[in-house]
Amino acid sequence: MKRLAGKVLCVDDEPGIVRSLQWLLQKQFEVFTATSGAEALELVKQHDFDVIISDQRMPGMTGVEVLREVRQLSPRTMRILLTGYSDMQAIVRSVNESEVFRFINKPWNIAELPKVVAQAITIAKTQPTDEDATDVSEEAPLVANGERILVIDDDPEMGRAVSELVGASARVSYTRNLADAVGILNSEAVSVIISETRVGSIDATRLVRLMKSKHPEIVTVMLTAESDADTITTLINQGQIYRFVPKPIRTGYLKIVLQSALRKHQALANDPALTFRHTVEATSAGTIEAFMSDVQKVAPQAEAAVADKAGGFMASLGAGFRRLFGVG
Amino acid sequence: MQFRLVRYFTLASLGMFGLVALSLIYFERQQGDFFQRTGDEQRTFFNEVQQSFAQQQEQSARRDLLTIHEAGNVNLTRLFANALWDKDFAPFVAQVQMIDARACQEIADVDDDKGKKVAPPEKKACFTDLGKRIMALPDFKAIDAKVFASMKKSTVFKIKVFDLRGVTVYSSEHAQIGEDKSTNAGWRSAAFDGVPKSELTHRGKFSAFEGVVENRDLISSYLPVLDPGSSRIVGVFEVYSDVTPFLKQIQQTSEQIRSTASANQTKLEAAAVENQAAVDATSYRQFATIGLLLALLFAALLAIVRRAEKIIQQQEADRAHTHQQLAQSEKMASLGQMVAGVAHQLNTPLAFSQNNILMVKDALQSMELPMKVAGKLSSILEDVEGDKVTLKVAQLKANLDKLQDGNVDVSMLQEMLKDVLGGIDQMSELVVHLRDFTRLDRAATTNADLNKSLHTVAYIAQTVLPKNIELVEEYGELPSVECNPSQLNQVFLNLINNAAQAIDGPGRIRIRSLADDDKVRIEIQDNGSGIPEHVLPNIFDLYYTTKPAGEGTGLGLAIARNIVTEHGGDISVSTRAGVGTTFTVTLPIRLSEPLAKAA
Ligand SMILES: Nc1ncnc2c1ncn2[C@@H]1O[C@H](COP(=O)(O)OP(=O)(O)OP(=O)(O)O)[C@@H](O)[C@H]1O
Ligand SMILES: [Mg+2]
Repeated sequence: MKRLAGKVLCVDDEPGIVRSLQWLLQKQFEVFTATSGAEALELVKQHDFDVIISDQRMPGMTGVEVLREVRQLSPRTMRILLTGYSDMQAIVRSVNESEVFRFINKPWNIAELPKVVAQAITIAKTQPTDEDATDVSEEAPLVANGERILVIDDDPEMGRAVSELVGASARVSYTRNLADAVGILNSEAVSVIISETRVGSIDATRLVRLMKSKHPEIVTVMLTAESDADTITTLINQGQIYRFVPKPIRTGYLKIVLQSALRKHQALANDPALTFRHTVEATSAGTIEAFMSDVQKVAPQAEAAVADKAGGFMASLGAGFRRLFGVG
Repeated sequence: MQFRLVRYFTLASLGMFGLVALSLIYFERQQGDFFQRTGDEQRTFFNEVQQSFAQQQEQSARRDLLTIHEAGNVNLTRLFANALWDKDFAPFVAQVQMIDARACQEIADVDDDKGKKVAPPEKKACFTDLGKRIMALPDFKAIDAKVFASMKKSTVFKIKVFDLRGVTVYSSEHAQIGEDKSTNAGWRSAAFDGVPKSELTHRGKFSAFEGVVENRDLISSYLPVLDPGSSRIVGVFEVYSDVTPFLKQIQQTSEQIRSTASANQTKLEAAAVENQAAVDATSYRQFATIGLLLALLFAALLAIVRRAEKIIQQQEADRAHTHQQLAQSEKMASLGQMVAGVAHQLNTPLAFSQNNILMVKDALQSMELPMKVAGKLSSILEDVEGDKVTLKVAQLKANLDKLQDGNVDVSMLQEMLKDVLGGIDQMSELVVHLRDFTRLDRAATTNADLNKSLHTVAYIAQTVLPKNIELVEEYGELPSVECNPSQLNQVFLNLINNAAQAIDGPGRIRIRSLADDDKVRIEIQDNGSGIPEHVLPNIFDLYYTTKPAGEGTGLGLAIARNIVTEHGGDISVSTRAGVGTTFTVTLPIRLSEPLAKAA
């Protein structure tokens, strides 16, 4: 059996879990185990790991805290969070603070887990580390070079808030209609998407996930009034969401997020190889079709459709789908 | 302790208003009394002023009358003296002087019953005798005739003449001649001081020159008679003149003044009464106005307080209601938390057990062939006679036999592991359902597959339902429904529990779902007791239950209806006694307005 040169660290306070993971992975990778966050961090200091898999619920340090430390100590290490029953705040924080690569649910799929780990190791080994802008502050002025930011939210206040924050340095498009959003994405090179999870009672996360899978250089920020573990897990695994901003929005925080999102986009645009670090899982079958039919339902209310009486908008919507997602 | 807002307000404010009214009345009364008192005082004062004015007027008029007549009498005396004294009276008086009066004068005066010195009857008689002797004088008749002649037709009613001893020398009323006047103040003033003295008197009967007159006012003046050419007093005249008409006039005038005054007084009094009435009326009006205003104020305040109390009571009721629901949902939540915790605890060992067994199974799979080959080999080598190799093989065979003796057949091992995995899968399924049911880490409002929710609830319910109740799930194809799945789980569980509780002994509960345009319909049907007619109208009421205390709280359907209504849906029931009951929940696919935050 060929052993891939990859170093994996498994962390869980339950020894049964780490032993089991070790048995599962040790055929392919070099596996280290730790049963506490402190122990794990010690190991990270001594070894150069490609991947770290950590349980979230642990006494002492939580998984999110461990991964955040690891991100500081060893930025190239790909981070995977193992979750059983999880509290939502922890998940949102794991996204924003430690930029996890994947969430893996317990019990894991015995066939899939090694593949995910292998993919992560490949990325870690072959792709450059994106030195992320972690030192942004509320006071620092926003740096933008005329990028386009798309805001999708039921509340027009959100669009105004973002416009005010970026001023003239970037262009902001706001819409509350997903058909309009598709239209804008089709006609403009959007750099950052800021979207609510549900818009006009349609699940908008699908648009974000689909966009990210085809256009990894787009940086996505989700606004959420309430958090759903499943939604967020899917968004991370299939959408590599850059940040979650919990509602109600704090302007200062939104500014920091926008700031780093713009920098992230600049980094990704400058070095397309970086995008591999944000490779997403394939969206489940039928997602595109379901999303398309939902969008078509709201299309008649779209601004573009109202403006254009000839009906060209519906045709161009189809074309947009084809161009953006390669279907339709 | 209960605070009775309306009652306390009413008592306090009515008490206060009463106090205000009382003090107002008190002050008004005070003021009224003050007005009345000062009015009375003014009237009395005015009355006194008028009375004294009338009195003074009369007095001064009388004084003037007296003075004028006195002056007139003085002149009259002078005339009289000039005309009669020298020629007639002087000699007559001289003759009278010759009659000795000392014997009469020496009779001592006596005290009358009032302690006043008066002349005793013998003294009077003595003087009367003296008078008779005077009248007996020869000149008397002529003088008397002259006096009568000159005085007739004048206002003079009577004339008397006294000598300086005080003896009445002459009187036109003859009976009085001889009387002693020596103690008379008028006579003394005229005789000794030469000062005339007048007096106004009223006489019922009076002997005047013309005869006897009645009811007359007379001025009598004692006037000194002076010796013509010298200022020597030689005698005293007394003249009575009639002033009845003057006095009558004076009295009339003063009567007039008095009546005017009393008319004024009456007018004043009437005015005062009127004023008082006006003051009273205004104060009554004031009372009425203030009373009305107070009543209005009270009514307004009472209305406000009533309304406030109603609102407070409403809020109280609402609070009690939401408190109930909150308590219920809290209980559910903490229960959910516990269940979720248990699920998590189970999940971890399940995860690695499953993982390990899967790996063992894989490993066994890869061992199966080599084991089979080894077994075959050993049976082939069994007949070969012994050399070293054989020995080794025989040894191996013994080991392999041991394997077989212990029933260690690889395929059988795999079967066993498969069962273990099946067991683990069941446990995992339970864990997944428990998590799905509690949904603690899930969004409250989401697009949910209600069939999945129903199945989860059915799965959970099955664990507590009696074994002889069969759960039949018949799900139609449903679009995803925008809803709060954890609330709907509660609804479904309540309906399934009710259905199960209505079944005595073996029975069947059917759970059906079907899409209906932009709605979905879920039916929970049981073949239990059915709902009696008298129970049916109450089943959705809060706390209504037909179950013994401790078994039913009567919250189930009330909460269910609440949740369904919040979703813009509808819950209905159809039932037949002895046949069973069907509850139907209809829900719109899309929420028309966002759900309240409470889960
Ligand atoms: N399926 C049914 N068959 C017969 N009677 C029913 C059925 N469902 C409800 N009822 C009647 O309606 C009443 C009210 O039901 P509800 O669920 O509100 O309260 P409960 O079941 O008595 O108490 P809880 O649900 O709070 O434990 C019940 O007591 C029962 O008499
Ligand atoms: Mg009930």
